[in-house]
Parts: sequence; structure tokens; C-alpha cells
Amino acid sequence: MSLDNAIACHNLVKDYKGHKTVRALNDLSFSVPKGEVFGLLGPNGAGKTTLVKILTTLLKATSGSAEVGGYDVDREEDKVRQIIGYAGQDSERSAYFRLTVRENLLYFAHALRDVPAQTVRERMDHMATSIGFSDRLDKQFITLSGGEKQLVIVMRAIVHAPEICFLDEPSKSLDPVTARNVRNFLRSYADEHGMTMCLTTHNMKEAEEFCDRIAFINHGRLQFIGTPSQFRRRVTLKEVIEVGLPRLEKAVESKLLEIPGVSNITYNGTTTLYCDDAFNILDQILAVLKGERIKAPVRMVEPSLEDAFAFFVRNGEAR
Amino acid sequence: MVSPLKLFYMAVWRELHTLTRYKANFVFEILTSALFGFGMLVLAVAFDASLLGNTVGSTNYVAFITLGISFQSWQSIALWRAAGMFQGELSTGQIDYTFSCPFSRYWYIVTNIGASAILSTIFFTPMLCVGLWFTQETLTAAGLLLGLTATLLTVVALAQLGTIFAALVLRFRQVTAIFSFFNFGFQMLTGMFVPFQLLPLPLQLVGYALPPTFGMDLLRHYTMGITPIMAVEYEWISLFALLVSLGVIARLTTRYLEKTAKEQGLHYI
Repeated sequence: MSLDNAIACHNLVKDYKGHKTVRALNDLSFSVPKGEVFGLLGPNGAGKTTLVKILTTLLKATSGSAEVGGYDVDREEDKVRQIIGYAGQDSERSAYFRLTVRENLLYFAHALRDVPAQTVRERMDHMATSIGFSDRLDKQFITLSGGEKQLVIVMRAIVHAPEICFLDEPSKSLDPVTARNVRNFLRSYADEHGMTMCLTTHNMKEAEEFCDRIAFINHGRLQFIGTPSQFRRRVTLKEVIEVGLPRLEKAVESKLLEIPGVSNITYNGTTTLYCDDAFNILDQILAVLKGERIKAPVRMVEPSLEDAFAFFVRNGEAR
Repeated sequence: MVSPLKLFYMAVWRELHTLTRYKANFVFEILTSALFGFGMLVLAVAFDASLLGNTVGSTNYVAFITLGISFQSWQSIALWRAAGMFQGELSTGQIDYTFSCPFSRYWYIVTNIGASAILSTIFFTPMLCVGLWFTQETLTAAGLLLGLTATLLTVVALAQLGTIFAALVLRFRQVTAIFSFFNFGFQMLTGMFVPFQLLPLPLQLVGYALPPTFGMDLLRHYTMGITPIMAVEYEWISLFALLVSLGVIARLTTRYLEKTAKEQGLHYI
């Protein structure tokens, strides 16, 4: 592993054994340089959380290897644990209900991570001020709203100043304003301290604004790795025609897919057609719609990250 | 790596804060403990004290049974507290965070049991005091000290078993029935409520492998003056031997079960 890499995975495979063995990760290899904010994208069940759990020493890979901060996650798990922070998915209940926010953060950082109590107090005050949370530090955890609890879980993940932080859907239950505040805070914290961040998200805006690079995982396989704009450009190589209908009938969809140059159709509120040469086949598309007596606005559009996500989910391996 | 001492005092700090925030429950726990002790006065008239006298050399049934119940309370904490804590952490998902932290799993469990045992002592003290009140004729300061030392050692030995139960939670998720099975066995086979000498020989043989058999017998011997089940020196040695061997088994079991639990993930209950 290069010394400049914070995270490196080599041919990771994870099988969950049961009545039927499920392969959650399939020969996954990638690396994340130090100081990078790295996003893991993919549909539900793609293997993102499994990957994060392997990297945080909570789960054992079936084969392959991974290093975090230069330490092997299997053989040197204690060293990995000393340099990481972690906020799991759906962890809004994962603190002591009757302790205050201040007491919870003190307990987790001082007792379980050996950070001096005074340092914890200073850091939590600084963090709370930055994200406008100071007035809730002395409230009992149970009395906080779902979003506030999630915020405490994010604070817990970084209060001990880890070198590498793993956040599994950190903004899931946050309102847009709080989510933006948290993103801004995490970004400036990461830049200031050189912290590497690896987060999973379904929030495309978050991925676009927050991540230096993203990886797209589907069925446990890595299908894309690069910057968010590169991710979009992979789809932009295809041109996009949007039809203002939530869904097309199967027969219409088949007719459109028969047109040479139309490679895929996705539905996400509107109907999106991915084409090789949209300008030249637009007439044929309009003719099919007219023949089927479909009256809806049709336009050529710049694909969003969400379009790219949908395209990758539908198409599998990128071209 | 976090030191066991820090894990311990922070666990006491956390438990104390939590405990005092459920005020009504806090008060009634203490009242219930005292009530149990005095309740034994009523029950005592229904039992044949001469049988107890012939068997263990003391007719003080109230003290015998009250000390047994106090012991049972500590035993429950030592055996069950950590497993219950892990089940809670598994269902809330907290276990994922705690297990991403750099500390010894063995010491985390043992220190949390220790913290609970210390705080539970607040509740057990009234009951124990009632038991000791009825031993006034035989009680000496040295006897009390030795009796409580034996109790402490037994709780530490039981905490090793509690550690194994907690580690089993990581693997099997739900161990309530396993706990009940062993807890019942521990109550029946260690002389907690019935003199050990009255048990059939095969059951006595099993009882010799359990720390409370010696801990409780020593406590009763030093405070009530009962005839011990064997020479007290041998009882102390047996207690130490059980403590050390259970400690080794607990450490190995914790390590092994965490590794196997990592195959499927920790947080599914």
C-alpha cells in the first residue's frame, strides 16, 4: 500500500453464510489517498455498509485484504481502532438515553478512546458552536429529536480527532439546513486537520458537493471510481432525452428501445432515454410517441448525478 | 489501549448518573431490598429450625436465608448484567460503535459488571444488614471482614462467568433461557436456600465446581458460625482456583466469540 493512501482494499470478498450464501462484496479493490473525502454510492443492498464494517474492524472479510492508515484491518485491528472514527447507519438510539449530550460524548471519548477529559470538553464546545448545537449539550439524549440525535452520533465520530472517519449515511435524518451545516463543518474540519473521510450516502447533492471522489458499488462490485463530474460525464457520453411522463407502457418502451441509438430508459418521476446521438434520432423518437398518441413535453437535457446513479443501477458495468 | 481502571471508574460514573435519573425506581429498589429482609422474619416461623441446627450447627434460619438472598442478588448482577448490557447495545446498534473502539473486550465486560455490582450494593445493603442484624450473637468485626472478602471474591469469580454469558450474546444474540438454566442451577446447587449438606451427593459434586458454594458457606461461617462444608482453608483455595480458571476461560471465550461473531456482523439481534 502506498504511504499516501489512507484506505486500500485488495480483492475484498464477503460472503454471508446461511441457508443460502449471499455474496455482499465481490472482488473489490480501490484506494483512497490521505485527506480525501470519499463517497460510497450504490443502491440499497449494494454492499456499502458491509464494506464500511470491514474497514472499521466490525466484520471479517471472507477473502482479500484491506488496510486502514497502513494497518491491516484483520491482523492489526487494535491499531486501526485507534485512528478511526465511526458513525453507523440508523444509530440514533446508540447512546445512553438518560445521559446528557455532554456526558455521552465525554463517556465515549474519554472512557472508550482514552482522550483526556479536558480535551473532550474543549472539542465538543468548539464543535457545538460551529454547528449551532451549544444550547442542546446539556439536554438528555432521550429528549432530542431524531435529527439532533443523529448529529450527536456524527459529533461522537470525530470528537476524538480521528485520522480517518467512516460515516454511514450521516445526513439521513437531518433537515436540509442542518445537513448543510454539518457538511460544511465536516469539510472544514477535514481540511483543517487533514482527516480522511469515507461516507456512504444516497443523497446525490451531498455526494456532488461534499466528496472529492466517489465509488459506485452495485451487487458488491465496484462499477465506477472517480470524481462526481467524471461520474456524470460517463453518462453524459450518452445524451439524454426526457419525456414528461412518469412511465411508459411496455409496448412503447420496447418500440423506443428498437430505435438504433437508444440504449436505455429509466424512470424517476419522468422518463429518461439515454441515446448515442440524440439529435439525429429525435425525429424517430417523436414519431413513435406520435404513433402511440402520447402527448408530453420532450426535451434534451444535461444529466444530473441522480441520472448517472439511475443509469449505473440499470446498466450495471459502465461502458 | 484504554486502561481497565479508566473503563471501570467511567462505568461507575455512567451507571451512577443513569441510576439517579430514575428517582422513583431508585427509592423503591432500596425499599424492596429492606422488605425482602424483613419478609424472612415472617417466613422463618414456617420452617423447622432444628433441622437447620442439626445440619449446619446454627438454628438462625432468618440470617441463613437473608444472607442467601443477598448473595443471590449479587450473583444475578455478576452473571447477567453484562449479557443484558450487550443485548441492549445489540438492539440499539451501539455495539457497532463500542466495538470500533480500542479497548480490551474482556476488561470492558468485567469492569461494567464491577460497576453494576458496586451500585447494586446500595440496594442490597439494607437486606444484608437485616441478615447481619440476626447474627449479632456470633458476629465479630474480623468475621464480617472475612465474610465480605469471600463474597467479593465470589462476585469476581461469577463475573468471569458473566463475561462468558455476555460473549455468548455476541454469538447467539438471545441467551435469556441459557441464563435462566444456569441461574436456577446456581441457586439450587450451591446451598443458597437449602443447606448444601442436605443435597444428594451427585448434586453436591456439581456444586463443588461453582464459586458461590464456597463464597456463601464462608460468609455464613464467619458471620453466623455455621459448620463449614469442608475445612475453611480448602474452601479459600477452591474459591481462588475457580476464580483463576474461570478468568482464563472467560478471556479465551471472549476473544473466540468476538471473532466468530464478526463473521456475520455484530448488530443483528
